[in-house]
Amino acid sequence: MRTLGLDDVTFWYPATANPALENITLDVGPGDIVALVGRGGAGASTLLLVAAGLAPRVTGGRLAGTVSRGARAGIVLPTPWTQLSGMAFTVWDEVAFGPANLGWPGHAISRHVDHALERLEIAPLASRDPASLSGGELQRVIIAGILAMDPDLVLLDEPTAELDPEGARAVWRLVRSLAGEGKAVLLATSDVDALPDVADRIVWLEQGSVRAMGEPSLLAEDALCEAGLGTTVAGLWRAAALPAPYPLTVVDAVQRWR
Amino acid sequence: MSVRLLALIPVTVAISLALSAAVDAVALPLFLDTTGTILATALAGPVVGIAVGVLTSAVNTLRNPTFWPFVVVQIIVALYAGFAARAGLFRSLKTAVPTGLGLGVLASLTSTPISYFVFGCTTTGGIALTTALGRALGLPPLGACFFGSFVSDFGDKAVTFALVAAVLHALPRRTAARFPLALRAMGAT
Amino acid sequence: MSALHPFSLLAIAAALPAFAWILPAPGGGLATATLALALALVPDVRAGARVVRVAVLTAAPFWLFLLLLHDLPTTVAMGLRITTMVASFVWLVAALPPDRLVEAMVARGWSLTLAYLFAATLSAVPVLKARAQRIVEAQRCRGLSPRGSVANRLRALRALALPLVLSALHEVDERAFALETRGMGSGVHRTPLAAPPDRPLERAARWALLLLCLAAVIWRLA
Repeated sequence: MRTLGLDDVTFWYPATANPALENITLDVGPGDIVALVGRGGAGASTLLLVAAGLAPRVTGGRLAGTVSRGARAGIVLPTPWTQLSGMAFTVWDEVAFGPANLGWPGHAISRHVDHALERLEIAPLASRDPASLSGGELQRVIIAGILAMDPDLVLLDEPTAELDPEGARAVWRLVRSLAGEGKAVLLATSDVDALPDVADRIVWLEQGSVRAMGEPSLLAEDALCEAGLGTTVAGLWRAAALPAPYPLTVVDAVQRWR
Repeated sequence: MSVRLLALIPVTVAISLALSAAVDAVALPLFLDTTGTILATALAGPVVGIAVGVLTSAVNTLRNPTFWPFVVVQIIVALYAGFAARAGLFRSLKTAVPTGLGLGVLASLTSTPISYFVFGCTTTGGIALTTALGRALGLPPLGACFFGSFVSDFGDKAVTFALVAAVLHALPRRTAARFPLALRAMGAT
Repeated sequence: MSALHPFSLLAIAAALPAFAWILPAPGGGLATATLALALALVPDVRAGARVVRVAVLTAAPFWLFLLLLHDLPTTVAMGLRITTMVASFVWLVAALPPDRLVEAMVARGWSLTLAYLFAATLSAVPVLKARAQRIVEAQRCRGLSPRGSVANRLRALRALALPLVLSALHEVDERAFALETRGMGSGVHRTPLAAPPDRPLERAARWALLLLCLAAVIWRLA
């Protein structure tokens, strides 16, 4: 049973000859955390848009292949300030924007919003004006706004981009707890070091197609490290010309040393 | 209305209002307050342009209530830009600038009666002074008023049209292709 | 004042200038202008004084130029009308926070589209203005100055305006995605979050005000 299934999906943006995604086949089930890694322009953001049902519906363009989605999806994009509704003058109202649009009754909205604010640890910000928040605070507000809609498929594009290390750790904890609740999570990130503890599967995208797919140990493989996408530890080990296989995390490295 | 157009409108209104900072920095006597209206029309048609024009007037009104009667001018601008876009007149500066000059004439023809009957031609200091000049030159009151607003509108609309044409041509093709009218306005289809 | 429904506040702010133009000058204009300025002072005199000051400062240039161009009776008649318009709007902006108006629109079942356009525009303006200011400052560091030939200044204007407009347009896509994913355009009736209460008496008063305006127009034309 899968929450999201992409079968041999190829996608072209409007008025472009080269496809942004080519022959992508990917399944994400409930409780899975799948991470997309790749260089800029590799197609991770486009893939998330396809998964969210926004491409080609809102982007225009052409899609070949099938996308099956069993449930409601919510996507968090990288730049927080463009995702503000513009209709809310407090953080509480901003987070409530999505649930209100779904037509939920007032008490359900309150419950979901308060819960989302707590999970993102931004309850003290509830009556602040979103325009006055820092980038990191805003990113958490946007994530809360998506979570308050209770999506079964959570799509995150660079969720920790604006956050300091403490904030980033909190988000990764949140991602794990979302999966624990049975939600399916598909995310794109350049914060590769966090992935061994978070992701169940890694997908390496290059120029719109899947170059490799597998367990997080993929992040210590030579090819990935050469592309600059491996974990810091693996990269350092490789740069120091120490023998393969490279360790994935600090713990692994320490073990190898012994 | 598609969500993309819904997202476009507030942004283009804000563009019209934000350009005043650029105009001040180069010390040119321009308003550029119809930039968003014309741009939105060239991208998505006159209906969207009218919405942008009305909203631009509304936000200006919040700052200074005397802007509201001139919402009619914004609507006329959107309609004119719609014809210009359908005719592909944004395809180069050579076609855009004269089209803008034409709008300058139309815009001052539209704003003159409003300025005259509602404000007695005192809409801005510049217009009041040029009106006084026109009167001194022997023009009748309405004519002097037209003279006042024409002088500022003429250049303003030509520059605005040129700017919008420049923006359209600077857009990456795949972005322009997503807006219904953009390619046709550029003469690119 | 804050106890009144947003639509009532709108009705008053629209009716006063209408009456200023419909009723014969200068008495009509004087009455409405005085009323508009007095309204500002009603709940809180100190905050009201600020409103009155803004209104007077905004209207003053018009009086000046009117004196320059017209004779005294015309100046007084037009000046009072303009003052009424200015005063009622400045009062409205001070008395009605935008979010209350937005929620009133949504609660009344006005299209979510309209409410969104209004609110999102108000939010977008300061953001783009700030960005424009940053671009101007960056260019100043590179030697931009308000001197030089008109052609040079037009080129400089282009260099300032183009990045602002292009980056704003690029964001339109992301905004559209965000709106979609948060349920706008779904066609479902949105739950109003904090609908302001509307008393039947207020609603009746608004209709009465409209009828009074129409009656005044008819009386004036007859």
